[in-house]
Amino acid sequence: MANSQEIKGRIRSIQNTRKITRTMEMVATSKLKRAQDRVQAARPYADRLEGVIRRLMTPEMAARYPLLRQPKEPRRAAVLLLTSNRGLAGAFNANLIREGRLLVERLRGGGIEVDLHIVGKKGINFFRFQQEQLATARTDLDERPSAEDAASLIDPLMEAFVGRELDAVYLVYAQFHSALSTPPTTQQILPVEPPSQEEREAASDVDYILEPSADQILDRILPLYVRNSLYRGMVETAAAEQGARRTAMKAATDNAGDILEDLTRTYNRARQAQITQEIAEIVGGAAALE
Amino acid sequence: MAQQATGGPLHVSVITPEGSVFEGSAESVVIPAWDGEIGILQGHAPLMALLGEGQLRVRGHRETERFFVAGGFVQVIDNVVTVLSERTAVE
Repeated sequence: MANSQEIKGRIRSIQNTRKITRTMEMVATSKLKRAQDRVQAARPYADRLEGVIRRLMTPEMAARYPLLRQPKEPRRAAVLLLTSNRGLAGAFNANLIREGRLLVERLRGGGIEVDLHIVGKKGINFFRFQQEQLATARTDLDERPSAEDAASLIDPLMEAFVGRELDAVYLVYAQFHSALSTPPTTQQILPVEPPSQEEREAASDVDYILEPSADQILDRILPLYVRNSLYRGMVETAAAEQGARRTAMKAATDNAGDILEDLTRTYNRARQAQITQEIAEIVGGAAALE
Repeated sequence: MAQQATGGPLHVSVITPEGSVFEGSAESVVIPAWDGEIGILQGHAPLMALLGEGQLRVRGHRETERFFVAGGFVQVIDNVVTVLSERTAVE
């Protein structure tokens, strides 16, 4: 049995660790709340934009928009991977990186050249370690992504897509279902998937005045839609990160509690054994004197 | 975040990617469309229009809310006015 001094030291060290993980859990909980609000707040805009596009787009029009161009033989694709700058969030980053890596492998397996655009230190470090060339490596976007951040990332890719330098853009992000469920997800951002026919019919029964014209409206709305897809991915990933961190830190805090309980028990047993032994020695000593 | 209703028969929402900037009712709305201002009153025909840069005025019973918008989109249907814009600012 370890001596009681050693056990005492371990107890103290684990108490300190538990203090840290508990604080991180609380910080993540409060950040999660705010991040969740931002996910909610982003919904109306996205829904309306989608509704408008669904209303105006007809399959015949699809061929005319550069953002809807469906390349016959894609040669070059961009993969935009969102990860976080900080760790201690359980498997959050590992899951995203795996999803991204599989996608890259699949694309390369199909003979497609892949440009990597990575947000977040965790993803950047992983792919740098793999000796990959990164087309974009951003660490400046974190807890509060803004619509402008999204635009600064996606606008150059949109240009490249329109200029036919790129044939597809994929986004890998963490979907935010709830704090406990944040599955890594791949979404094709470009070319924009035209809405399906049945969805369209339900939407188109009103005769709108269109200013200037459906064509021109779509021409301006589609980039907004693309930007918004990325923005939503970014807010969801930010919320998912906090959710994953909260879960991981809660588990760590609980584990620390369990270990502490065990150690305290061991410590008390050691202490008691020592006392018993001392008493026995004293009694033995006294008996020897008589 | 959304501001108070100002009274009137039109329901107006101004929405940005980050969230709703204004939500409320109004007597009339003046929209800076791509080619000039459009005034919207109760009973306006369904409309979809691109926005230019300029002032969006939401006139209620007593007061008028003013926003600056740059680019975006407006949809009017059944007295519901929805303004979508990436860049807005309250004036």
